[in-house]
Amino acid sequence: MTAEPLPVSTPKSSRTEALEERPVNLDGFVEEWPEVGMVAMDSPYDPAPSVRVADGVIVEMDGKPRAEFDFLDQFISDHAIDVSVTERAMSLEPVEVARMLVDPTVTRSEVVEVAGGLTPAALLEVVKTMNVVEMMQALQKMRARRTPANQAHSTSARDNPVQVAAEAAEASLRGFRELETTLGVVRYAPLVAIALQVGALAGTPGALTQCALEEATELELGMRGITAYAETISVYGTEPVFCDGDDTPWSKAFLASAYASRGIKMRFTSGTGSEVQMGNAEGRSMLYLEIRCILVAKGAGVQGLQNGSISCIGVPGAVPAGIRAVLAENLLASTADLECASGNDQSFSHSDMRRTARLLPQLLSGTDFVCSGYSSVPNYDNMFAGSNLDSTDYDDWNTIQRDLQVDGALRHVPEEELLAARSKAARALQAVFAQLGLPTISDKEVEAATYAHGSQDLPMRDVLEDLKAAQSVMDRGITGLDVIKALEASGYSDMAHTLLSVLRHRVSGDLLHTSAILTSELETLSAVNDANDYAGPGSGYRPAGERWREMKRLRHVVSASNPEEENG
Amino acid sequence: MAVTLPDQQAELDPGRDYPLASHRPELLRTPTGKPIDELTMQAVLSGDIAPEDLRISPDTLRLQAQVAERVGRTQLARNFRRAAELTALPDDLVLSIYNSLRPNASTKQQLTDIADQLENEYTATLCAELVREAADVYERRDILA
Repeated sequence: MTAEPLPVSTPKSSRTEALEERPVNLDGFVEEWPEVGMVAMDSPYDPAPSVRVADGVIVEMDGKPRAEFDFLDQFISDHAIDVSVTERAMSLEPVEVARMLVDPTVTRSEVVEVAGGLTPAALLEVVKTMNVVEMMQALQKMRARRTPANQAHSTSARDNPVQVAAEAAEASLRGFRELETTLGVVRYAPLVAIALQVGALAGTPGALTQCALEEATELELGMRGITAYAETISVYGTEPVFCDGDDTPWSKAFLASAYASRGIKMRFTSGTGSEVQMGNAEGRSMLYLEIRCILVAKGAGVQGLQNGSISCIGVPGAVPAGIRAVLAENLLASTADLECASGNDQSFSHSDMRRTARLLPQLLSGTDFVCSGYSSVPNYDNMFAGSNLDSTDYDDWNTIQRDLQVDGALRHVPEEELLAARSKAARALQAVFAQLGLPTISDKEVEAATYAHGSQDLPMRDVLEDLKAAQSVMDRGITGLDVIKALEASGYSDMAHTLLSVLRHRVSGDLLHTSAILTSELETLSAVNDANDYAGPGSGYRPAGERWREMKRLRHVVSASNPEEENG
Repeated sequence: MAVTLPDQQAELDPGRDYPLASHRPELLRTPTGKPIDELTMQAVLSGDIAPEDLRISPDTLRLQAQVAERVGRTQLARNFRRAAELTALPDDLVLSIYNSLRPNASTKQQLTDIADQLENEYTATLCAELVREAADVYERRDILA
């Protein structure tokens, strides 16, 4: 039989049309291009590992003599790498170190010690021998804090402080231990930072707050006790990009000490893809450059790092093995004994399957903060340009926790508790604004913020008046103490006491240690008193007892005693 | 204020003493010398607590450095020891030194002067060392002003 000739323009099959319609095909994918650094973790231009020590100083690293070190090489070799173990550690085959990472009978501290002697190129060779399951197995051991936690973004497309207060209350009640905000209009910062702080106090006590801003302003809000920690302290993996960011490893190390000198918790931020995005990757793989960032953080003596590509996730996400590289960077931050706030904080994919797959390595292994910004607001309100998870994903998240008995640090909260906390947050902010002579928050706004899903559900504010007031907060020198007094004077004594306790923690410095959070009882939990002790099956953190009972609750669960009823 | 040398401080056992706020509050004082237990709501309301009271003292930072050292975190401890030195500096000086350390922001002489000031006026020897090291690297990498 003779086949009919195909028409000139071939029609697509119904199958192809159905696949073309799938959201994943809206995502961007590119081929590897190592010359410009568009390669995740396996570039022919990455250096080969080497080290040479003379008179207690590293005189050669990864094929480069000391005289040719750029400033990152010098900072890393002088401050991050343990000279006393480097030659011994570098003599191990990469796969031997990788096996130590995976093997539960090798303790976390043994791995930390050996890894402390490895150069950036050597650390890269180690993770190159590992697949994602091996990396996850390693990450559950190497995470610094035993108990996982989570961080939220609480922002507003209109920088509406009343909305941010209500969202902060809900987020803390749902389990987030850190809350981060940022602004559309930067001048709004003082009002929104106060709102975030006040709102957080109306939910579960002890959620720490921060406002992401330019370094100097962020430090000033912290010094005033309006925010409790900071993390937008960016570091980069090449010298030109570091300079474009207007910093050096030394300026950042000084800044780390500046924060600690005021008792304020701080972590650095970095991530794969930032150097390509800023146009100067020097032909290195994204992961090699990120490892340099991790070691700059270690050398600066900062307690932790937010990494996992962060705002550049589209770059590693577009190349082969990019999401494997993102997991590798989280693993190496933890292996450097740093707190790791592990990304999952930026819009990543149009595909729900793909964004879940991107999340699972961190969620299943457990990290210090599974998301370094789960959007506690709908993504249209997320001023970090959207997150991988948002406020419409809460029930899915809680269900995945329950299905797999994995602790993602969130919980289902009954509607009446949420509304009570949101309302209390908005009312308390109304009172604080009145006490501090800031623009009026109406009862209508309080009501709207209580029941809102996003900023579109709230009345518009007088932005000019708000911005004038925001400036006056800075000019008048308003501090966290003024917020405490305003809360106490308006009858929110419980919230005033909580804020005083949070600020008192600065005097003790306990929160400066690796992976520190405050519990709901306002006790510090860090890698010092809650060190990860994972040593294989039956050991380490496992959700049990009251926490597991809490994780079993969802919005709709059929009652066993009365199948006509739902418990939720 | 008296300068307490690290070796005169209490010997801490991280397993027993940390968090210091719960286990060793008697060791904790504000930079103004108030015991941490005096930071009460009553004191806030009566105006006895100023923003300076909600800061960490150099002694406390050195205690925390000891904790960090004993759990093997050398760099973190060193950061705490630099921070202890910086507690003596006013906020605007801290910010201005940070800005001077940015790339192409200072001449070698300006950085050397800052290091001298840190050492001579504030006994901030570790911070001075960091700034001098930066001056040398910035010169070699050509990122001085």
